Amino acid sequence: MNELIPLMVIVPIICALLLNLLHGKDKISRIIALIVAIVIPIIAIVANTGLHYFGGYTPLAFNGTLLGTLPTALANSNIVFFHPAITYSLVAMKKIFIFVLGIVIFLSLFTYFNKYKKISGPFMFLVFMGTAAVSAMLLTDDIFNMYIFFEIAALTQTGIILASDSEGSTETALKYMILGSIGGPILLLGIGFILGAVGSVNISDIVYAIKTNMVDPYSPVLLIGFAMIFFGWLYSSGLPPFNTIKSLIYSKGTPEASAILTTFSVFTMVALGIAMFRIFGYLSVYKIIIILFALLAMVLGVSMAVVQTDFRKMLGFLAVGELGFIALGFGIGTKISMTAGLFQAFNDIVITSLLFIGFGTIYYLTGTSDTRKLGGLISLNPKVAIMLLFGGFALAGVPPFNGFQSKLMLVQSALNAGYPELAIIVVLVSIVVFMTFVKAFHSIYLKPKPENLKFVHKEIPSLAIFSVAILLIICLIVGIYPRIVTYGFAQYLGGLI
Amino acid sequence: MVMDIQLASLFTAGALIIIGLYAAIFLDNIVKKVIGLNFIEDGANLFLIALGYKFGGVVPIYLPGMSRSWFYANSAYPLPHALVLTSIVIGASTLAVMLALVMVLYKKYHTLSTKVILGEDHE
Repeated sequence: MNELIPLMVIVPIICALLLNLLHGKDKISRIIALIVAIVIPIIAIVANTGLHYFGGYTPLAFNGTLLGTLPTALANSNIVFFHPAITYSLVAMKKIFIFVLGIVIFLSLFTYFNKYKKISGPFMFLVFMGTAAVSAMLLTDDIFNMYIFFEIAALTQTGIILASDSEGSTETALKYMILGSIGGPILLLGIGFILGAVGSVNISDIVYAIKTNMVDPYSPVLLIGFAMIFFGWLYSSGLPPFNTIKSLIYSKGTPEASAILTTFSVFTMVALGIAMFRIFGYLSVYKIIIILFALLAMVLGVSMAVVQTDFRKMLGFLAVGELGFIALGFGIGTKISMTAGLFQAFNDIVITSLLFIGFGTIYYLTGTSDTRKLGGLISLNPKVAIMLLFGGFALAGVPPFNGFQSKLMLVQSALNAGYPELAIIVVLVSIVVFMTFVKAFHSIYLKPKPENLKFVHKEIPSLAIFSVAILLIICLIVGIYPRIVTYGFAQYLGGLI
Repeated sequence: MVMDIQLASLFTAGALIIIGLYAAIFLDNIVKKVIGLNFIEDGANLFLIALGYKFGGVVPIYLPGMSRSWFYANSAYPLPHALVLTSIVIGASTLAVMLALVMVLYKKYHTLSTKVILGEDHE
């Protein structure tokens, strides 16, 4: 059932358009949104792995009838192996990621519906357009198609911040768009350079052309293309120098919006990161430069998080810092490190969503995210406090949670690849993450309650607690049985490396 | 001597990108900044169009009466042009959203100065 592959993009797009039209009709919008959010992971599970050729245009080599009509020189050339149309590929790794995307979208919307009586059609439109865009980025084997959805994802992220309507969100959205308007065209130029060198924008074709020496693998044109695509990747991932704006975006969104935004960022990072690895993984400079930026992201992320007194900003910086761990796995470039990177990406999506939704309950109750004004909240709802503490443990890499497994794998891969210093940095940064989280947790829950602390709402929305609990259960299950996800990642990477 | 059209287009694309980057980084007026950003987008599009240019080439539509080998040898490469068409749509959408944001911020601050609009601590 390879025909199901494009449905993972088409269904959320149709849903987005429908929800925008149904703005104001809350009941039907809620039902449609939740059904589609459940349908997306179901399609990911049911669809067969394989390729989907849009329009049925397979490479000429697989089309005997057409191949016979071509001039001999063309029929005998390597060009017949090129893909004439957009191709989507589905493997176990992509199934796992799209499954978790659907789960996060479902839980975030569930919480959003529980909190607000009136729901926004444009917000729902943006969420589902973003979902379609990041799914397409992951599925496509065409780097230009990836660029298109990269731009759509960036636009939807801007829209989600605006829809959150927090103080300074318009300014932050404009800043993000200005940077995006530099990052996007530079990525497009990089794709143009590759197109100029290879003559195709299909990633498999580009890899084939480089491996069969149809183009010089060290030609300056390809190297410039790499530099430009790398710049676009930094922007989409939120790695330095874009770490500050990315963390600012997370802190401006509503908790559910922030959970969705981090998921989108991790998806774009993984999709473009894998494409870069497939095309340029042979370059020695590739490893060095990615490791360098990964370390910068980790160190800058935690060092900026540790000084924050606003827990939303702290979470924003921690989320960006965690992206550094994913990039480090990609940078070391071995099968185990790449598996660790993808595993970390999966965990990052689950854990940061848990923390954003969980800490969002505090903002919902008190109307403030300043840790200096908070305190003594453990008596109000100890269940949520304990679940958040466990979420923080998962983020810092404390056993038996999933974060521990991915970070352990990352440390092992760094040691195996002969980079013990990287393993030490991973451990040190994780300790600082732990310290930062415990400090914030103490300020919010354990220190005496300030006398002037006022409550905006009396109770935490029950579905927010439910969402946090489900995400924590995922953390625990994946932490105890990591092979549920790592097997699919390792299988995919085994074919690449 | 007439300069090669492809080379001239590539130089123009480079110039547009450099002018755009200059405007985006150094100019204070936010509308000029947005225009600069659009220049970068246009430069990237022109670069792609120039890649598909073929001197003396024909439109890549196979018509009756053409010999196949002549068509393969003389038709221009259509892929970059198809890509640019999509890219223009994306660029227009981004530009529209940016201008809308500028309008909202102008109503709030009554100025177009980037230093005032984005320079303040909105965090």
